Amino acid sequence: MTKKLMAAGGTTLVAALALAGCAGGGSQGGDPPAQTDSGGPITVWVDPPRVPAAEAFTEAHPDIEIEITQIDGTVGGQTVRQAFANFDTAGEGWPDAIFFPTNDDIAWATSSTSNYAADLTDLMSEVIEGYDEAVLSFCEIDGQIRCLRNDAAPDVLWYDEVFFEENGYEVPTTWEGYADLAVTIAEEHPGKISGMLGDAYAVNRYLQAANCPTNERVSETEARIDLSAEGCGKMVDLLSQMQEADALSNQGIFDGDAAEAGQNMVMSPGAAWWGNYLYRDTWGVEAGRISATTPLAWEGDSEPTTGNEGGGLWGLSSHITGEQLENAITFLEFVATDPAWQVELSTGLPGYGPVQDEWLEQVATDDYFADIEGSQTAFKESLGYVAPYDYMMYDTGSVWTQTVPPTLIGGGSIEDAIAAFGEELTNQAESVGYTITQ
Amino acid sequence: MSHTTTLLTGKSRAPFGPMRTRRAEALGAWTLLVPYTLLFLVGAAIPIGYAFVTALQKAPTPVDPTGGFGGLQSFVTVFTDHRFWNTFQNIFVVMIIWLPIMVLGIVGLALLLHASPSRFGGAMRFIYYIPGALGGIANFVLWVYLIDPQRSPIAFLWQGMGANSFKEVITAGNMPGILTAMLFFQGVGTWIIVVNGGLNGISEEVLEAARLDGANAWQLAWNVKLPIIRPWIGYAALMNVAYGFQLFLEPYLLRQISSGAVSPEWAPTQLGYAFAFTNRDFPAAAAMSIVLLAITLAIGWVIVRKSGMFGDEKETA
Repeated sequence: MTKKLMAAGGTTLVAALALAGCAGGGSQGGDPPAQTDSGGPITVWVDPPRVPAAEAFTEAHPDIEIEITQIDGTVGGQTVRQAFANFDTAGEGWPDAIFFPTNDDIAWATSSTSNYAADLTDLMSEVIEGYDEAVLSFCEIDGQIRCLRNDAAPDVLWYDEVFFEENGYEVPTTWEGYADLAVTIAEEHPGKISGMLGDAYAVNRYLQAANCPTNERVSETEARIDLSAEGCGKMVDLLSQMQEADALSNQGIFDGDAAEAGQNMVMSPGAAWWGNYLYRDTWGVEAGRISATTPLAWEGDSEPTTGNEGGGLWGLSSHITGEQLENAITFLEFVATDPAWQVELSTGLPGYGPVQDEWLEQVATDDYFADIEGSQTAFKESLGYVAPYDYMMYDTGSVWTQTVPPTLIGGGSIEDAIAAFGEELTNQAESVGYTITQ
Repeated sequence: MSHTTTLLTGKSRAPFGPMRTRRAEALGAWTLLVPYTLLFLVGAAIPIGYAFVTALQKAPTPVDPTGGFGGLQSFVTVFTDHRFWNTFQNIFVVMIIWLPIMVLGIVGLALLLHASPSRFGGAMRFIYYIPGALGGIANFVLWVYLIDPQRSPIAFLWQGMGANSFKEVITAGNMPGILTAMLFFQGVGTWIIVVNGGLNGISEEVLEAARLDGANAWQLAWNVKLPIIRPWIGYAALMNVAYGFQLFLEPYLLRQISSGAVSPEWAPTQLGYAFAFTNRDFPAAAAMSIVLLAITLAIGWVIVRKSGMFGDEKETA
């Protein structure tokens, strides 16, 4: 019986070796597939918050047939990536335009093994001119513009104006001042917190804002990850100070059970979209309490340095041509620039410059923030203070959520958590093929 | 040789009867075999062959986007991956906790049911089966509710342990316990019915003889029923081992509800998924699936032999 099995196994192995020797490497290794023009409806993939954008397009352009597919919008989710790996292997099936659920997705979508996202530099040059260079820098890869920002998501400093006034606190202007005040608030008002560490964007909120090289693209195959760099150490010290004083929560902004923590968060760096999307719509903080102010600066620096949380990316298929391409470009232009979506329906500050003022006026109409004018100024000013950051093939936010909160919950220190984060980040980066430089 | 002679003799003596029977038997056997064979080919043999072929390819990378024959490189990639041993460690810890509880639970509850043939036994049979009816996602949703420290009826338990959020409940240390609970309640009802089927097959005379010899209920269960149902227990153990090694859905969804606190490559199958769709390395994903196949086949082989699941294995066991 055993001999028969061994013989069968041996035969299978020999057959497999023979077949493998004959087989090609699949479409990934061959010539790029020819561009197609179906002439029919265009297919767009959007996450749930972007469904209204696609629906607004159907209303504005009834002449263009469109098929809307709602995709998993989980930041760091794998389902879209999985679908594209299959499409790339099969050489067909891609959507004509997409809202990437995770910004890191642009890294694989522009890699030489996928090459899904079209170069928009010439295709949409007029639209590109409307963007602030800093805002669109996330889409510039090797000199080509490979996506359009849906919204700009620079971090500002959010604070509870009513709480600050009641207790006579002054809004900090520096990172060091923010940490000191967070400790004071936690001591004087146990339960009140000044930040959350448990979500994928905490990396941007804190480490990007400290110019800590977690995501520095040297080339398509080289990444710089150096958590021993000066900026990282500065931020780790501040976070340790706050963590020890119970001024930070291990929960994340997207956690389903974070509403209570959100309502107790009296200040935090956070993206421009936090105000409407998180404080108002998700956590239900009453109107007239929350305001945004200018991002924090490091002591001794003349200008603030801040992170960027999301600010989604629209991509266009490189596999289409003719009428299909024209219609997909019309769609992309609409969702990136048209006030029907960007002003009237979007909760975030538009990435496209010419409609930003209209959106800021809408903020006044909403009458949600305690200091409307100050918030408007903060949103606009913060655009230029965002620290450099590259989207990579490894998912930094996902590495953060699986290392930092569990370490802290297990009783580890911030130093332990960041060390675990750095180790796993390097491992993940190497496993997707990057050579790491420091 | 003698067998052939008998057949020939039979043929010459009765040219029609036995021949017809044999043809009918052969036709019946093929009719019964064809659907399974087709399904086996489509669902198992061809995918396994394809996995072997894929595993021997070379994955295109940004540095070298060409494909082709890669030899055993994908297996080297799998075995040297920094997550490989961690995933097996995770699954082994779960198996060590869950499998004994599962097997003891199945056998113990099945024996209890078999010893209570009254209306009470019937009612208990129904109650034991209820969790088994909550398969897959439904069972998971139930457990999401149970492990929610804010809404669960056992919230006091979580809060007593200092956990007030999903993230604080779904920690690396708690994962084996949570998965054990999920898997136990998902599978125990179905397996009780299977093992109970084995118990029902025991001849009443055998049990009566044991009783006449003075065996009490415990001795009856331990010395008579258990040895007879050993193949059923082996089958339950085998299928649960196979299921355990293929764990994917539960850790994948626990990661979702804990907002990413669980590694996306917690289980070996998840690592295979990551090779395919995160690393874009289909050969490594195929190699990982072959590694899993080899492990489950080896464990299955041991269990089949030791449990005497099939008649001809009894003597060798």
